[in-house]
Amino acid sequence: MTTDSHTETDGAAHTSTGLSNNKLGMWLFLGSECLLFGGLISTYMLYRGRVGEGPRPSQVFDIPFTSVSSFVLLMSSLTMVLAVSAAHKGDDRNTYLWTTVTAILGATFVGGQVYEFTAFYNEGMGFTTSLFSSSFYVLTGFHGVHVTVGVIMLMSIVGIMKRSKVPGSKSETVEMIGLYWHFVDVVWIIIFTLIYLIPA
Amino acid sequence: MAIIERSITSTEVFSVATPSSSLGALKRPVATTGWKSWLFTVDHKKLGIMYSAAALFFFIVGGLEAVLIRLQLAAPNGKILNADLYNQMFTMHATTMVFLFVMPMAAGLANYFIPLQIGARDVAFPRINAFSFWAFLFGGLFLNLSWFLGGAADGGWFMYAPNSGPVFSPSHGIDFWVLGLQITGIASLAGAVNLITTVLNMRAPGMKLMRMPIFTWMQLVVQFLLLFAVPVITVALFLLSFQRNFGATFFDVSAGADPLLWQHLFWIFGHPEVYILILPSFGVISEVLPVFSRKPLFGYPFVVFSGAAIGFVGWGVWAHHMFASGLGPVSVAVFSISTMAIAVPTGVKIVNWTMTLWGGKLEFTAAMKFAVGLIVLFTIGGLSGVTHSVAPSDTQQTDTYYIVAHFHYVLFGGAVFGLFSGFYYWWPKVFGKLLNEKLGTWNFWLMVIGMNMTFGPMHILGLQGQPRRMYQWTEARAGEGLFNFGFWNMFASIGSIVLSIGILLFLINIVITARNGKVAPLDPWDARSLEWMTSNPPKEHNFDSIPTISHLDEFFHRKYQEDASGQMVKVKTAEQVMKELEDNADAHIHMPSPSYWPIFLAAGLPVISFGVIYSIPIAIIGGVIVLFGCYGWSIEPSTAPDDDFDPPATTKDVVHVG
Amino acid sequence: MRHQNTTDHGTTAVNRLAGMRRRVVGSIAGLAGTMFLAGCATNAPQDTFQPKGPNAKIIDDLQKPVFAVAGIIGVFVTVVVIIAVFKFRDKGQPIPHQSHGNPALEITLTIIPALILTVVGVFTFRTVFDLAKTSDTEMIINVTGQQWWWEYDYPVQNEYGITQPIITSGQLVIPAGTKVLLRQTSRDVIHSYWIPALNGKRDAVPGRVHLNRIEADKPGIYAGQCTEFCGLSHANMRMEAVALSKADFAKWVANQLKPYASPAENTLAKEGETVFMNQCIRCHQVNGMKRADGTPVIAAPDENMVSGAAPNLSHLMSRNTFAGATFDLLNKSCREDVWGAESESFGAKYLGGVSEDCLNQTDLRGWLRNAPAMKPMYANPALLTSSGGKYRGMPNLGLTESDIEKLVAYLLTLK
Repeated sequence: MTTDSHTETDGAAHTSTGLSNNKLGMWLFLGSECLLFGGLISTYMLYRGRVGEGPRPSQVFDIPFTSVSSFVLLMSSLTMVLAVSAAHKGDDRNTYLWTTVTAILGATFVGGQVYEFTAFYNEGMGFTTSLFSSSFYVLTGFHGVHVTVGVIMLMSIVGIMKRSKVPGSKSETVEMIGLYWHFVDVVWIIIFTLIYLIPA
Repeated sequence: MAIIERSITSTEVFSVATPSSSLGALKRPVATTGWKSWLFTVDHKKLGIMYSAAALFFFIVGGLEAVLIRLQLAAPNGKILNADLYNQMFTMHATTMVFLFVMPMAAGLANYFIPLQIGARDVAFPRINAFSFWAFLFGGLFLNLSWFLGGAADGGWFMYAPNSGPVFSPSHGIDFWVLGLQITGIASLAGAVNLITTVLNMRAPGMKLMRMPIFTWMQLVVQFLLLFAVPVITVALFLLSFQRNFGATFFDVSAGADPLLWQHLFWIFGHPEVYILILPSFGVISEVLPVFSRKPLFGYPFVVFSGAAIGFVGWGVWAHHMFASGLGPVSVAVFSISTMAIAVPTGVKIVNWTMTLWGGKLEFTAAMKFAVGLIVLFTIGGLSGVTHSVAPSDTQQTDTYYIVAHFHYVLFGGAVFGLFSGFYYWWPKVFGKLLNEKLGTWNFWLMVIGMNMTFGPMHILGLQGQPRRMYQWTEARAGEGLFNFGFWNMFASIGSIVLSIGILLFLINIVITARNGKVAPLDPWDARSLEWMTSNPPKEHNFDSIPTISHLDEFFHRKYQEDASGQMVKVKTAEQVMKELEDNADAHIHMPSPSYWPIFLAAGLPVISFGVIYSIPIAIIGGVIVLFGCYGWSIEPSTAPDDDFDPPATTKDVVHVG
Repeated sequence: MRHQNTTDHGTTAVNRLAGMRRRVVGSIAGLAGTMFLAGCATNAPQDTFQPKGPNAKIIDDLQKPVFAVAGIIGVFVTVVVIIAVFKFRDKGQPIPHQSHGNPALEITLTIIPALILTVVGVFTFRTVFDLAKTSDTEMIINVTGQQWWWEYDYPVQNEYGITQPIITSGQLVIPAGTKVLLRQTSRDVIHSYWIPALNGKRDAVPGRVHLNRIEADKPGIYAGQCTEFCGLSHANMRMEAVALSKADFAKWVANQLKPYASPAENTLAKEGETVFMNQCIRCHQVNGMKRADGTPVIAAPDENMVSGAAPNLSHLMSRNTFAGATFDLLNKSCREDVWGAESESFGAKYLGGVSEDCLNQTDLRGWLRNAPAMKPMYANPALLTSSGGKYRGMPNLGLTESDIEKLVAYLLTLK
């Protein structure tokens, strides 16, 4: 039996809902993640005005810079869509291409975040400086970790696919990572709006 | 992992597969017997047994902690434990019972019985299932490690800030607590994703949602609650560990923090958690009562929807734990009303159980006794809960022994009795032997008497004004006459000994049954649901052929039919029903293959946690273990390739699971 | 084979069930009886069903019927289950009709509890807002919790003769028949203020001020206890509310405002004052105390305590307790005399304070000798790294017996 037909047993046709186990599982996981970010965002909203002796949000935020990096992340959702669509068509070359581009865009965003954190730190906003800074770093840091995990998954999947070692269906694996990726992007849009665009 | 090579006769032929290709760094494990077959198993039944065994171990640990607490409080100015040790004891008693006994025990039953009840051969993600178990076990052991490394957590299971901060609790106890719960939280979350997917996706043909056994239904609600509740406590625990280990000030009032943030986060998780603890037991007795009443569950759809309603409304009542915390009258009034609202669906369940008994043909096995016991004891706990929902009254009773009585009636009289009912009911299914019924009767009565003796007087103590979480009580507040604090505290302590003996009898029953228990017939209880439509214990692949479902209580309807006069008569024996499945048996079933990665990956988590407390390099080592585990996992297929199985199956008749 | 099993179970079940009936009925009767006894027999100081003031009374008026209704429903359900258990036990009857339920009955039995709860809800709603009323407050006292004692601070209120702030601890003294508003907060962790006879509990949360209204109908002493777990010595954080008639309260205020009187020269008490100035003053303030050169003596608990506070010991002997109301300053017989007094004679007895004859020498000396041995506290200097060397509770001062002798003599002068 080929790998592809092998996965048919847990593929859509055989499940009670018609959605594959993997996809359903991913949706459930993302549902849970909503509450995780919900908790972190609530904490930030509660504490964003409590700056103590440290800098105020308006003193450190570089909104044009973050807007650009947000745009980069947003674009990565587009390239992810292209990757998933190529994977569905069985177009390996474009799948690798767009997956790699998505990973690079994601990595650029993370790089931007590292730069931003460094800049904030240099302006006197350390992790423990104030409740605002702690909750800012925790919220954006958690998001950054999610993006990083996504980048690692994207890069690994390219490597693994090239050696044809993906257990299960390629297109579904790419699609699942895509779901995760879009989720992380949507969360960023919310975070970006709440943290940077709506003043405390 | 095994290929099941079956002849069409009913004799079993297990040809063991030997997956040999190496897809990770290591070849796949192949053992089918011995400790390795348990360590690397992905079989939902083995994992279910391990979950329950580990939970039982923690039940004993938590029970011993409880007995020490009761001994300390038997008389005024108790000297058995000092204040520090007492505070650790009640913190760990609650933590252990909630997170390391009831939750994993319910998870164990869910793991074992959900696939069987819905006609599946395994869960949706067998390796994630194994990972969940090991993460729970390692998390639980990690939590208890603190006893030997400078003292356990001492802030109470609710761990209110700022008392949980580094200044107020300088030992590492709370660090172990936070990180240990974080690990068990990961286990619960992974388990929830897994079980929900299993229930939604892997039902046998014809098993519509409203034909699912009620235990599966209640577990489905529980898993959804876990899915959404766990991340909230995860956030709270992260904030606390960032404060304790990395100098953040999330709950440090001097830095401007609001300590009520913790309370909200904790109880938004904590109240659904209450239903996470109780609903599995509701599910168990909703299976047991119909079987031993010989009639269907009264109002099945009402029980299903009230369960779902409890799960839903359970999100809107958390602040009733905070009536005394100064929320302001509007919030208090609103949460007071919402809490009363949740009593309605709970009441529906009591009505349905009672009406299930009504008009039945009741057989009082040990399982049935525990189930009926639950109805009465839980009702008492539920009603004292209603008195708490009356916020002004709650401000008198909260944080007194009255509330201790309340939640022990709910959680011991409810959750634990339900679990025990399940033990007696399902033991023959899992181990092929019947637990001794006579010992079971003693077990039941000693537990009923012991539990009422222990927790009954706590109502009175609470109303007389004895606060909880005090390492000593004083005669200055004890009151006059015979029935004062002294009498009832002593009474409760004696009760705890009776209760312990009752539980000890259960442990003895396990040993006796294992040594020379009665071998269970195929269908010892004349049961109704799908898990009984297979051998005892079930075959590794659960069902020879997946049955097509046309009824709620499918098994019953295959055995019984109405005769001309409308009377139910038995038309087939269980053996005959089984035979039908066997006659249509699938020839080759490739079960998910064992794997090293779940336990490997789970083992990285306590290493990271240990490192967070003591030294970051150790945490990095843990991180490397986790990353390596993820890598190995991701390139290993869940089920070994077909050519790894021996003898090779002809492609077309292989059925793959997972 | 299956059938035979069933009949076996059936016959043995009869005996077992007969026993069960007796036991269950017995235990219900027992429970009901004991609940009754609990309510009225023991006279426990913190009984939640014996209101002694309007706020507690409002709660009591609500909780009594609720408990009664809950009790009736509980007995009803239990009885129905017991009837079912006996009536429908397996007596060899045929397999019952496989009825899946009765929606009409279900809905009825859903609506009935919903209605009961609606009624309860309406009354609860009203009571919550009744209890929250503070607009007619007649007196304000600031209450501050810290590990493990309560501080009471009376802001200036001329109508009660409080012309200067009064700071005291251990016992909250209030005028009877007066609506007193407690403004509660905490200096470290969350505590909860609870005098069951006067009102329900209300948390004292650091960084917040919570309002808690109390009023005592009659003069007397009302016991309470901290009810939010607050660390090591939570069990030893008690409080007592002392209600005095208005006239007696005025006397109490006058006494609290009396200026400091240094003990006469060449007395043991005078030597005790010196010991106090060398040792105790690091944390404990005694208002009006001056050094020989006339400079005021100011305590610095903020330098030594995590919470930044220690009980103010001015007029210590006007209180009946010390160390967070954990220990009595009165010996047993004198204490019983005060606690057992009728409300008419209570004021006079309480205002008598603690005389040398009435002093609980054992506990006070034990406390001075080694406080952490009597009440668990974070007071071991070796274990205070996490708090920057600051204490939570009183450390062992290593006083000599003669120092203790002198201190006791001195403390007795703080009338």
